[in-house]
Amino acid sequence: MNSKDAILANIKKNIRHTYDKPEINIPGIHYPDVIQQFIDISETVGGKVEKLAQDDDVNDLIKRCYPDAKKIASSLPEITIATTNPNTVKQAQDLNDTEVTVVRGEWGVAENGCIWIPQAAKEKAAYFICEYLVILLSSKRIVHNMHEAYQKIQFNDYGFGTFISGPSKTADIEQALVMGAQSARGVTIILTDE
Amino acid sequence: MSTKHSKAAARFLSNEEGSQWHNQSIWYVRDKRDTLSKGLPEWEELRNLSSDIKRHTVTHLDQYLEKFALQAEANGVIVHWAKDAGEHNQIVYDILQQHQAKKLVKSKSMLTEECHLNDFLISKGIDVVETDLGERILQLMNIKPSHIVMPAIHIKREEVGKLFEEKLHTEKGNSDPTYLTKAARIHLRNEFMSADAGMTGANFGVAASGDIVVCTNEGNADMSTSMPKLHIVSMGIEKVIPDYASLSVFLRLLARSATGQPTTTYTSHFRKARPGGEMHIILVDNGRSDILGDELHWETLKCLRCGACMNTCPVYRRSGGYSYTYFIPGPIGINLGMLRSPQEYSDNVSACSLCCSCDNVCPAKINLSEQIYRWRQSFDTIGKADKMKKAMSYGMSIIFNNPGLYRTALKFAPIINKLPHGLIYNGLNAWGQGRELPSFAKHSFEELWKKGQVK
Repeated sequence: MNSKDAILANIKKNIRHTYDKPEINIPGIHYPDVIQQFIDISETVGGKVEKLAQDDDVNDLIKRCYPDAKKIASSLPEITIATTNPNTVKQAQDLNDTEVTVVRGEWGVAENGCIWIPQAAKEKAAYFICEYLVILLSSKRIVHNMHEAYQKIQFNDYGFGTFISGPSKTADIEQALVMGAQSARGVTIILTDE
Repeated sequence: MSTKHSKAAARFLSNEEGSQWHNQSIWYVRDKRDTLSKGLPEWEELRNLSSDIKRHTVTHLDQYLEKFALQAEANGVIVHWAKDAGEHNQIVYDILQQHQAKKLVKSKSMLTEECHLNDFLISKGIDVVETDLGERILQLMNIKPSHIVMPAIHIKREEVGKLFEEKLHTEKGNSDPTYLTKAARIHLRNEFMSADAGMTGANFGVAASGDIVVCTNEGNADMSTSMPKLHIVSMGIEKVIPDYASLSVFLRLLARSATGQPTTTYTSHFRKARPGGEMHIILVDNGRSDILGDELHWETLKCLRCGACMNTCPVYRRSGGYSYTYFIPGPIGINLGMLRSPQEYSDNVSACSLCCSCDNVCPAKINLSEQIYRWRQSFDTIGKADKMKKAMSYGMSIIFNNPGLYRTALKFAPIINKLPHGLIYNGLNAWGQGRELPSFAKHSFEELWKKGQVK
């Protein structure tokens, strides 16, 4: 018997009572002002939030946030200040030393600041390898809680997606909170469609 | 009557400052957990639901595993099955060999600790690099985690500073956490860049979609899988869950219970290999399917590995992870160790005051303390009962079953009050260590009652 069959047979042999699947229909928390809650929690987890004014250009706003950034990665066509495209780099390693990566978030979650980012370019490394991550998010796409978020999120052919909530962090040395462990040391969320 | 745990705990406590710091920092995490849980009116409902989903899943585990494996394979992922640690390690090594991979970057995985994977791979000449900061510190020190979520909680910043001075050539005497974290970032960045393969554990495997879900704060699981073309996932079979609706329940509980955060920074869903790459999932049993058959202890399989039971445990906080002989400490570790080998790990069972706090924080509502109590009840059967306690229990059963004998004993008991201190407080009397015994009353309640002196 191969290992798969042996494991499955042993499981079947050992199950004693079975339990039915519960109905998952939980009233997740709702906030009176879902956008404000999302902004507050994003700042609590170490992120920054900017609102894009109607007459402002997103490229200008990013430049104002990161005036010294030279290597900017993005595969979004509207990001004209991008110097590197994670879709066309030869290998993921070429994205090292990226100062700012700009991505689009699909959904924001007000209870914990998570933003759903499905892989949208060949090298997902761009989202993690950068010093600072800028996430564009429509304020019309903020849900209250994770139950709602999981009903909304979509995958594409890349087969990878991640919720990101704030910058990379660690407290592994004496519980002292430090931003910028292995991944982006800062995150700016730009809310659009105000 | 001392167990290995109590002896090791005494050593831990001999460093008064360090042990107090340990207790307080971990209590702080427990406190954050409380604050966050109280922020959700549906918290208790979530815990109930989480327990019910896990009960359902582990009692239909064969079906969910088959479904998960089929889905993952449909996504182009290569699925392996390992009966035990040895088979798991061999599979990992074979995959690495096929790809001529020499350097493996790893994100945190307690399962690979359980399997002693690193030692095995290193003995075969593979360069294994842990990439979670805490795990990397421990790896460079050549020691093991003392907590499953905060692995280096017992290490002081000065020790890390000294270690990095030697290994990463940081400034002499600089033990600032921000400085040291930055040094580790640069060091690990080079490892990510040059790795041939990346390995992650799995917080969840979603049967409906075949996703592997990995939660980290550092982003090291993502860095480990973004540069190398090869991704190997090591997953315990009990980590499979039905669908996204279930996942949302667990994710809302996990980080809040573990570290008192509303979520981990990254919650990554790996469904397919990178473009041009390969993704492997190894489903590991290593005793789990046997636990299913244990009527008293099968619910340990519901564990999410959040560590909340450790953070709340008064014994864990005051004795440290190294006092336990199993690699997972605290209430869940006591139980998992006994399920692994009662002969080898029975010393941990005494590390519990039966305060039941762990039961109240467990996000999967495992009856941890009740299970520990049950292990204690089984000690005589497995030949682990303490000889002195057993003799005393026998003695007490004779006294309590004979009213005449009991009354006589009680009559003479006050003599003990007058005995010299050294005769009572010595190595033979474990109850007299670190505390004074109450003195016996001159007259028993029964005596007073009969004389009509009880009002």
